[in-house]
Amino acid sequence: MKRLFLFSLLLTLVLGANAQKFMTKNGYIGFFSHTPMEDIKADNNQVVGVLDISSGEMVYQALIKSFHFDRALMEEHFNENYMESDKIPKSIFKGKITNLASVDFTKPGTYDVTVDGDLTIHDVTNKISTKGTIEVVSGGINASSKFNIVPEDYKIAIPGVVREKIDKNLGVTVTMKFTPVAK
Amino acid sequence: MKSYVKIALFVVVFFAIAGILAALIMFNKKHPDTSKAKPDFVVTAVTLQKEFEDNEKTASARYINKILEVSGTIASVTAADSSHTNLSLKTGSDMSSVICTFPSNSGVKQYKPGDDITLRGECSGYLMDVLLNNCAGVMSRK
Repeated sequence: MKRLFLFSLLLTLVLGANAQKFMTKNGYIGFFSHTPMEDIKADNNQVVGVLDISSGEMVYQALIKSFHFDRALMEEHFNENYMESDKIPKSIFKGKITNLASVDFTKPGTYDVTVDGDLTIHDVTNKISTKGTIEVVSGGINASSKFNIVPEDYKIAIPGVVREKIDKNLGVTVTMKFTPVAK
Repeated sequence: MKSYVKIALFVVVFFAIAGILAALIMFNKKHPDTSKAKPDFVVTAVTLQKEFEDNEKTASARYINKILEVSGTIASVTAADSSHTNLSLKTGSDMSSVICTFPSNSGVKQYKPGDDITLRGECSGYLMDVLLNNCAGVMSRK
């Protein structure tokens, strides 16, 4: 009987915790490089994201090979020369909304947030802090952010010949449409 | 002597043009057209997901960067961004599926959850799901 009670307590906790969790497997991360010589864009529509609205914690995970470029050759170089995606297939961000109190998840609307966290690309982890928005909509939560990263911060070596064609600061766009984790 | 120079010049010009052409072809290389490409593997969504779940390393070595022809039942169709739509296929697992990204203008929107489909795509690997990109439908049945 005691065991049953403990089990049901645990179940309530887990389910209760679940109600606070939102998820997507169709998240978007894209980056954009602009130089006078060339504009380069890559999209990834297969990002897994989890948002816990009780703690403000978020985790994003993406496969490097899911980033797609218009030019096949560029994609090949990106994977083989720069990101070494056979060896390092994934990129991860673990972060937290620092001003969680200013978001009312029960009230539809758009809220400005700041997110601090660890971004791991190419097996190098850096702390980043970025501004973003949380939009509470019926049936889910949309999260989006734009920030810049410097490839060299992640030990991504870009040879001199090509360096001029790639922006020193890559613009990164993140767009997630979270839905509640089904019980 | 003069004809010697002419031949040398011809050879140099020939290789220069060939080089430029080769570089241009490489530079403008297109992604494979998966609607027409011959698949490297033909599998069901159930088998594919199970192989990755059982042994990600072996399955990765086998499937990543290859063109797969996958058949299964559609679990969901989701507009991902302005130009891409994700279609997920049912597998033996509740948590994990096969997610296939299509260009939105490829007619992917005609597919509905519950339909059976055969599609082709390039395998990017495994996150929580098996991920396919650059997908094209081959056949579907309501």
